[in-house]
Amino acid sequence: MIKGRLPLVVAVLGILPFVVGNAYLQHMLVLWAIYALLALSLNMIVGYLGELTFGHAAFFGIGAYTSAILSMNYGLPVWLGPFAAAIVAAFFGAVIGYVALRIVGPQFAILTLGFGSILYTITNYWVDLTRGPMGISNIPPFSLPGLDIDFTRADRMYYVALVVLLLVAYGCRALMTSRTGRAFIAVRENAPLAASTGIDVFHTKLLGFTIATALAGVGGALYGHYLRVITPDLMSLQYVAALIIMVIVGGKGTIIGPIIGAGIYVALLEALRVVGSLRLVVFAALLTLCVIFLPGGLVSLWRRYAGRQAAGGAS
Amino acid sequence: MLKVSGLKVRYGNREALHGIDLEVGTGEIVTLVGSNGAGKTTTLKAISGILRATGGQVEFGGERIDRLSPHAIIARGVVHVPEGRLLFADMTVMEHLELGALRAPSGKAGYARRLDWVFELFPVLKERVAQRAGTMSGGQQQMVAIARGLMAEPKCLMLDEPSLGLAPIVVDTLADTILTLHRAGIAILLVEQRVDLALRLADRAYVLETGRVVLSGAADALAEDDRVREAYLGA
Repeated sequence: MIKGRLPLVVAVLGILPFVVGNAYLQHMLVLWAIYALLALSLNMIVGYLGELTFGHAAFFGIGAYTSAILSMNYGLPVWLGPFAAAIVAAFFGAVIGYVALRIVGPQFAILTLGFGSILYTITNYWVDLTRGPMGISNIPPFSLPGLDIDFTRADRMYYVALVVLLLVAYGCRALMTSRTGRAFIAVRENAPLAASTGIDVFHTKLLGFTIATALAGVGGALYGHYLRVITPDLMSLQYVAALIIMVIVGGKGTIIGPIIGAGIYVALLEALRVVGSLRLVVFAALLTLCVIFLPGGLVSLWRRYAGRQAAGGAS
Repeated sequence: MLKVSGLKVRYGNREALHGIDLEVGTGEIVTLVGSNGAGKTTTLKAISGILRATGGQVEFGGERIDRLSPHAIIARGVVHVPEGRLLFADMTVMEHLELGALRAPSGKAGYARRLDWVFELFPVLKERVAQRAGTMSGGQQQMVAIARGLMAEPKCLMLDEPSLGLAPIVVDTLADTILTLHRAGIAILLVEQRVDLALRLADRAYVLETGRVVLSGAADALAEDDRVREAYLGA
């Protein structure tokens, strides 16, 4: 879809902060880039492995808390925070995946909901470590060693998030054209058949799940150092739902889909601020309509259009 | 080479296999025949590890394999080509062949050689490496399924209903292919509803009824057996 146009897309994304030139819109761009990263990580589970998870926000939260706590209390340089967040989130992801991935389908989704709630509850009540419902504030802003850049400014932080997003998008693409990625798809399409061709279904799923949780951790770290305040609500169902909406509405199983989905979510969230909590109804309706009428997400519209163009050209 | 003894499998509370004994010798073609629901497919699935046996054991080359996972069993050379020429519709022919080679013992070193061999067997696949499997004809899909199995370097290939839904002329080609694999030294365990075809190809046969082996012996002798003729050959 964006093949060949990639340099152009990157260039446009690169100058966006100058084009909008408004701190508020720049702030939304940062949120978009971070959410897009999170949506891509969820997409690995929902889109590539074909399992629904309701626990993804927990790993986002783990990443945010890990990086915040390590940098504030243990002197970890902030730029190492996302790496530490990835490791800790991946650890939790591997342990939970090891238990939960023994079952699949709706039962797996419910199990992840349970694990997500447990992590949320622990975060909420382990006041000594997480300060509980008060959350953690005054988190140090992102920084890079040897560079004196003020990353509290949205137009600066945007580039950090954008670079990470592009790296992850590229990584997803490389993964999905590799043997491992093909094994993901094989497991999604038909697990018994995948097993009978020699794919280790359980470990393939565990690998995908762990990578996805690590990436969610990175997203959480960036989020924490950008907003500089985090609360256990990061792990709540509201964020779970938001990420699922981004992936499904954008188009699961693609790379551009979740990125677009994140953009729509962030834009609607702001545009609908006037209607207050009715926003959630709008999102629910959007998700429902998408599942019924556009199961491939918004990117499938483009495919239909391109397909028609190709058919028209041939006749 | 492959030795199954007392194999039992349950689906929930229902026992589907009540203790199957069978053997496949090196380089032999052995067929399992029987009507729908007799347990042929279940037997293959239990051997390849997709279903867990609840009793009995499976040995391959002297090693017990019934507690191994499917991918470990494939790595030992027991490869299952499932019923209904199951493919990943959106993957290309080449991607199927790469998937098939995932557990091949000779690894990347032997990959090119095996690919050449598979293309020699199925020249049509070479022309269609980039075609998506879902868009191919039934016969070609069956070729892809078997080729995918062959990429795993089987010592024993288990084919489940390979002729199902194929045109008669395609079935003849398939029979030739099975004989070619046989000459290449691969042991074949064939499940087939076309009993006439199966008995013609095989060295030995087992007749299954409701989860039990009720008859076994040399394939040509069974083809002459009155009970088999009456029940399966319509004579």
